[in-house]
Amino acid sequence: MNQSKPPESGYRSRMRTSTKRLFRWHGWWAAATLLMCFGPGFLWHRALGLTLLAVGLDVAVGVGMILATKKFIMELDELQRKIFLNALGIAVGVGLIVGVPWTVMDAYHVIHSHALHANFGLLVVLQGLTFLATLLYGTWRYR
Amino acid sequence: MKNRLKVLRAERDWTQAQLADALDVSRQTINAIETGKFDPSLPLAFRAARLFGLRIEEIFHDQDSAGCKNSDRVAD
Repeated sequence: MNQSKPPESGYRSRMRTSTKRLFRWHGWWAAATLLMCFGPGFLWHRALGLTLLAVGLDVAVGVGMILATKKFIMELDELQRKIFLNALGIAVGVGLIVGVPWTVMDAYHVIHSHALHANFGLLVVLQGLTFLATLLYGTWRYR
Repeated sequence: MKNRLKVLRAERDWTQAQLADALDVSRQTINAIETGKFDPSLPLAFRAARLFGLRIEEIFHDQDSAGCKNSDRVAD
């Protein structure tokens, strides 16, 4: 029986670094989005130049976040990548099959309740929750 | 697909975490492969074969072909 330890590849430490980088970029993007949403009203009284600057900053940080997410996905191992991409695919699909009919119904005044009017923010929340639920299910399924 | 990963790991007294680290994957992936819930890619199967010093077919077996052989044997 060979009890010597196998060689180590450092997958766990690499994933720790990658996950921290992903959270950092998501945090920066959330901060930039908050600044873009509330800055014009509360900080610079709708000054156009500053608002455009905030939008530019949000887009730039968003691009960084996308690249960090891409790098994170590429560094996942094959099973975790499968689980992550499955969750991502289902979240995008749910966003489409809910979002498009919702917008069409709103455009043709099928929806009368003010609370149910097409709302992009709600759609993003729905996609986020779908992604989270599918990711948890995938992790549980292959546990 | 069936595999002997668990047996080979136990023979060497390695934990799932140690094997996962050696194969550059997560512990969850090793567990999923050992329990037959997930089939590894060819590059990962090659890495496992290299690590154990065996051929791929000595670690991984196609269930269907095993079934065929069994039914052939029954027919004979």
